[in-house]
Amino acid sequence: MIQVTNLTKYYSADKASLADVSVTFQPGEVTAIIGPSGAGKTTLLRSLNQLIRDDLGTILFNDQDVRQLNRRGLKQVRRKIGMVFQNYNLIEPLTAIENVLHGRLGEKGTLAGMLSLYSQDEKDQALGLLSEVGLGDFCYQRCHDLSGGQKQRVGIARALMQAPDVLLCDEPIASLDPKSAMVVMDILSRLARTKKMTVIVNLHQVDVARTYADHIVGINQGRVAFDAPVSALDDWAVTQIYR
Amino acid sequence: MDQQTTKQWAFFRRKHTRLFLVLLSALMLYMGTASLMNFQTRSLLGIGSGFAWMATNFVPNQASLSLLPAILYQLWRTFLIGISAATCAGVVAFLLALMGARNIGCRVTLVRVVIRGFASVLRNVPIVAWAMILLFSFKQNDLTGFLALFVMNLGFLIRAFIETIEDFDGDKVLALKATGATYGQIVVQAVLPEVSVPIVEWLLYMIENNIRDATLVGLLTGTGIGFLFDLYYKGLQYGAAGLVVLVIAILVIGIELSASKIGRVIA
Repeated sequence: MIQVTNLTKYYSADKASLADVSVTFQPGEVTAIIGPSGAGKTTLLRSLNQLIRDDLGTILFNDQDVRQLNRRGLKQVRRKIGMVFQNYNLIEPLTAIENVLHGRLGEKGTLAGMLSLYSQDEKDQALGLLSEVGLGDFCYQRCHDLSGGQKQRVGIARALMQAPDVLLCDEPIASLDPKSAMVVMDILSRLARTKKMTVIVNLHQVDVARTYADHIVGINQGRVAFDAPVSALDDWAVTQIYR
Repeated sequence: MDQQTTKQWAFFRRKHTRLFLVLLSALMLYMGTASLMNFQTRSLLGIGSGFAWMATNFVPNQASLSLLPAILYQLWRTFLIGISAATCAGVVAFLLALMGARNIGCRVTLVRVVIRGFASVLRNVPIVAWAMILLFSFKQNDLTGFLALFVMNLGFLIRAFIETIEDFDGDKVLALKATGATYGQIVVQAVLPEVSVPIVEWLLYMIENNIRDATLVGLLTGTGIGFLFDLYYKGLQYGAAGLVVLVIAILVIGIELSASKIGRVIA
């Protein structure tokens, strides 16, 4: 579980990109963060693992405030929080399996990681995860030869390689065609249910959020405009979030 | 004339006037500098006979062909020095470029500025000047030639590598950072695979360039193929000097062709 309390981030002295945001993300649930462009969805998501530093508030994860951690502590927390990006952010000249194995870098010593000294268990696990996301036959294919949907699934497998408690997905289907988007959302939804993972997804598509999310957080101008189970997301609520 | 035609006429008149002024300025610039230098334009008319003399005297003859083994030996040495200077400079330049790049380099701006400034100084002092400076410090030997090429390569490659690394998408660094990867791991596992192709291409270009520069450097430092050229030239053995130029040209073209082939293979 991640509990965010009064999180505030200023971009300039008088303009807050996040203002007093308090929200709780539950394990075993898919939480969709929706809202207009520039509302602060990415800032909120990236604040959770401190890829973006915020200014005020608390972020409780496994009973520790992520914001108060030193570099070492933060690295340990990041190992438990997987992340999936809109543009996949894979190292494209490398193969799918090498990219998935990058998920283990946080657990390895610097030199072992630099020299790609992975154990047999880790290699088997990477192969298993690629099969799990339907890419068993593409393990040794360079990522620049994969389609967008396949790249995103490699990205998910890389995040899963961290054995995370939380999965942060920053617009994971924004660059995908509808069919690939459905495959990716199905995988994310299955992970939340079967692995009891906290899955947090930034989305632009309200209908996708309605189909796949258990909980919706609506953000407008850096403030929480909606925070309730998906069943409560009626048309009026959507209007309020996107006003 | 309707308004459209008038507008069209004015547009093309402006365009032609501008072209005329550019040509006139170029002509006046030439005449001005030529008169200051006391350069007689009509001396250009004798250029043909100059080329004819060159073609007659610099063509390798039977006597010069007997010197081929010695020439090839020096060319081989020059080639090796060119490769070693480029690869050594490449390693140092990559480390400095990592520190100097804005996206993943040192957070202290001063360090980045110093690295760029250092590269700029190395690059902007002409190779001839470096060869002369190093000649006084290290005397006449292969090391002096190597150092002159190394210094120039370093200045050039730092700049090229910084630009290559800065083109690398910072979000990919973010993705590895999110896994808890260390800086060293990010460099080796993400930056290096992404930039390796342009870096190898730069190195191949540098090697090719080094063979050309080695001739000049060797001429000044008394080493390699450049020294041999100087020796034959001053000894009035123009055929042998021509043979030196010919083998250098063949080697450079060979490297150029293999470089583009290697580039295609690794891409």
